[in-house]
Amino acid sequence: MASLSRIGSLTAAAILLASAAVAQGYPDRQVTMVVPFAAGGPTDTVARLVAEKMSADLGQQIIVENVGGAGGTLGAAQVAEAEADGYTILLHHIGMATSESLYRELPYNALEAFAPVGLVTEVPMTVVARADFEPADMASFVTYVKENADTITMANAGIGAASHLCGMLLMQALEAPIVTVPYRGTGPAMTELVGGQIDIMCDQTTNTTEQIQGGTIKAYAVTTPERLDLFPDLPTAAEAGLPGIEVSVWHGIYAPAGTPQEAVDRLSTSLQTVLADPELSTRLAELGTAPSPVEDGTPEALSAKLSAEIERWRPIIEEAGVYAD
Amino acid sequence: MRDRSFDPTDLAAGVVFTVLGLAFGVSTLGLERGTALRMGPGYAPLVLAAVLTLLGVLIVVAGLRSRGVEGIGPLAWRGMAFLLSAPILFGLTVRGLGFVPAIFLATLLASLASPRLKSWQVLGLAVAITLFSTLVFSYALGLPFRRFGPWLSF
Amino acid sequence: MDLFSNLALGFATAATPLNLGFCLIGVILGTLIGVLPGIGATATIAMLLPITFQLEPVSSLIMLAGIYYGAQYGGSTTAILINMPGESSSAVTAIDGYQMARRGKAGTALAVAALGSFFAGTVATLLVAIFAPPLTAVALQFGAAEYFSLMVLGLVCAVALAHGSFLKALAMVVLGLLLGLVGTDIYTGAPRFTLGLPELADGLSFVALAVGVFGIAEILRNLEGGQGDREVLGQKLGGLFPSREDLKAMVGPMLRGTALGSALGILPGGGAVLAAFGSYTIEKRLSKRPEEFGQGAIAGVAGPESANNAGAQTSFIPLLTLGIPANPVMALMVGAMIIQGIVPGPNVATEQPALFWGIIASMWIGNLMLIVLNLPLIGIWVKLLKVPYHVLFPIIIAFSSIGVYSVKGNAFDLFAVAGFGLLGYVFLKLRCEPAPLLLGFVLGPLLEENLRRAMILGRGDPMVFLTRPISAGLLVLTLAVVVIMLMPRVRRKREEVFVEGD
Repeated sequence: MASLSRIGSLTAAAILLASAAVAQGYPDRQVTMVVPFAAGGPTDTVARLVAEKMSADLGQQIIVENVGGAGGTLGAAQVAEAEADGYTILLHHIGMATSESLYRELPYNALEAFAPVGLVTEVPMTVVARADFEPADMASFVTYVKENADTITMANAGIGAASHLCGMLLMQALEAPIVTVPYRGTGPAMTELVGGQIDIMCDQTTNTTEQIQGGTIKAYAVTTPERLDLFPDLPTAAEAGLPGIEVSVWHGIYAPAGTPQEAVDRLSTSLQTVLADPELSTRLAELGTAPSPVEDGTPEALSAKLSAEIERWRPIIEEAGVYAD
Repeated sequence: MRDRSFDPTDLAAGVVFTVLGLAFGVSTLGLERGTALRMGPGYAPLVLAAVLTLLGVLIVVAGLRSRGVEGIGPLAWRGMAFLLSAPILFGLTVRGLGFVPAIFLATLLASLASPRLKSWQVLGLAVAITLFSTLVFSYALGLPFRRFGPWLSF
Repeated sequence: MDLFSNLALGFATAATPLNLGFCLIGVILGTLIGVLPGIGATATIAMLLPITFQLEPVSSLIMLAGIYYGAQYGGSTTAILINMPGESSSAVTAIDGYQMARRGKAGTALAVAALGSFFAGTVATLLVAIFAPPLTAVALQFGAAEYFSLMVLGLVCAVALAHGSFLKALAMVVLGLLLGLVGTDIYTGAPRFTLGLPELADGLSFVALAVGVFGIAEILRNLEGGQGDREVLGQKLGGLFPSREDLKAMVGPMLRGTALGSALGILPGGGAVLAAFGSYTIEKRLSKRPEEFGQGAIAGVAGPESANNAGAQTSFIPLLTLGIPANPVMALMVGAMIIQGIVPGPNVATEQPALFWGIIASMWIGNLMLIVLNLPLIGIWVKLLKVPYHVLFPIIIAFSSIGVYSVKGNAFDLFAVAGFGLLGYVFLKLRCEPAPLLLGFVLGPLLEENLRRAMILGRGDPMVFLTRPISAGLLVLTLAVVVIMLMPRVRRKREEVFVEGD
């Protein structure tokens, strides 16, 4: 028994030493970045691009681990429970804020369980329709949809998906109860939109840019405060008289709450370096998006964004009465 | 069940399906059913559970009528005990202990399912598999598994 | 003609020594990882994906395509040798392939699978090259109503998969459908049969189900009697290569399988899976000796394997022409392309012709390499069966645990493997076959989702299924299948089979 307790105290000492070591030479081994969605999806792509660049800056490999499931909440929960040593981090999107309202039984509190590192990118969204949808521009789109609300169908990629959030905003702004048809992910929804089986959708530029440019679908407006360089001819929703529709899919990096400040700061500086990297901008531009401004790659910016977005979406989701559990 | 004029496998299968059908059916009761034209989340599951229960009953009836061909045969009790617990043990320990100890323990446990291996053979096999999987999956393929987890961090 | 200059460009791109090298590495790696039990094409690609990031875009995608074919073939090998399918489509191959292996014809089964795959791959690649745009147009005609009718047809065919009791097969299909519905309802967000577990919110894992009810259940059966190898597979090994009669027997199934697979592969979602199951059903119906199916019929391997591979090839069509992935593997491909700085979309063919045609050419090259590589390897694979069973099964358990875990990094899936292993063993003892259960599982969510979607889009009018021509056609076909099944002659044959069967 004596030896057992000795092992115990040795272990305790070792743990203390280990956590002291963390603070000094962070990072001294590979870092795992959890992406709470499947490999190959848009969030995974953003994560892999950023992880590759950050690895170069940190001098340690960041490996991406996909822990998909339950709208991103499984992966987030896993990071919330992970050791707060800076070697497990999370890259999550707007779902971090909306799941607070969409899920009634969430095993973590988004504001308390994580130490924000910084914002990565904000992906704008576009209001699109099948290629032969009648209205010619956004103004006529608004009147047309209002008049024909009972025959128009709108696709989304499932409950809590960006396209679902944007769809809720669109219906609120238009005051038109459009029939909503959920799909299992963006792929099938986009296929049916291209095939003309369904009328309209609102989705991220990462999914729509190529289709719009290829003429297989029609774009009406963007959901950003200003027009996009990518589509200079597309008005913003606000210009078209729908000021409520301002939405973007923002991505942030988080560490578990309690992570040593040094580690969080190191990650944040690294993120800021990467955000200024011209090659990352080029890559993200191909996807129809851009890195967040360097000053947003900080814990303060992400923290503010997260609280603001949780408060913003709560009434919208509650009014629509949708839950994902 | 020992009565040779029935087919015990049909009877048992029928009972299993009936029980599963009822269990699924009961758990759909809390779901909104909707109408055939505007189906709710509970519609299809309830219909399917009802069909499964009905099929279960039909299989029981058919089993009562048919002649028994063969019994259930021997059961792999030892196999079930060790084999089925191996993936569970791996799942419980892969994060905490890390990949290397988890795969070692799981293989060790699985090899015990057969009485034919001597204990040193079991150990050797577990070591070999652990080495191979660690080299292939962790080093060569770089899968994001921690080789030794936080429970072992010194 | 454009086609030739395009194909020439494609081969010029794909056949540089460097790219050929990457294609070869991809095929080898894909086969080696895919052959590990419990690790199918999706898991293999997810594991090997990061290796390709360092390469040039064209080389990277060519290597990925090689990995894909290699993994598919490797998966079929495991299905045949140890009854452990790592992917839905190879579940069908396992039915008769494994029985052939048990009868000492593992070599023949593997060779038949390889030849069937190669033939199907060649034909389907040509189809992709010539008809990609018009085929896309057909695929786009498929809306919810069409999918629903197609799934109904698939379901009716599913019952024919079984060679035992009709009632039990039907019950297994229905149970599969119910298990497929586990998870969050996409229309309302209501959790169904999740027992309050967040891990079940996205439903049960297919790999866990397949590994459990096929692989683990089979190991347990072999462990009966406490000896650890009631049945040593390697004891009687027949000829490695198919005889002249074997080859003759596979021609018809191969041609029909290729046709079916090519057609269904272009449909996103369950298309390719339905193809393998459908081909099995067709061959069983056409066979003069349907009683052989489930006991090691060559047609039961050749047909589904061809269908499977043809479908794998044509499932590239929506990706290449629209930039929309048709299945999880294609989604991984899209991810790879984006990381390489190519955003797939409807313009890839015109903006990046070398890439587009290079991939198509490499599809065929990859298939060619596979067969050159694998025919000699068959001898080695078959020798694996000589490994004593009590050494083999812990290896199987270890690798399938790793494989299942690597897909989602979720420990729950491993618990599911154990649960399904037990369930599979119970069903095995009760003489209920697992194949119909798997098909039901795959079709369940698609069936319900498309039915509800069709009703929403059709404003609650059930006539949509009849007023849309493709849907109506499929339903007529379904009716025809039912009528054939109920015809007295066929029925009597079925019952005879049942009586004769084990």
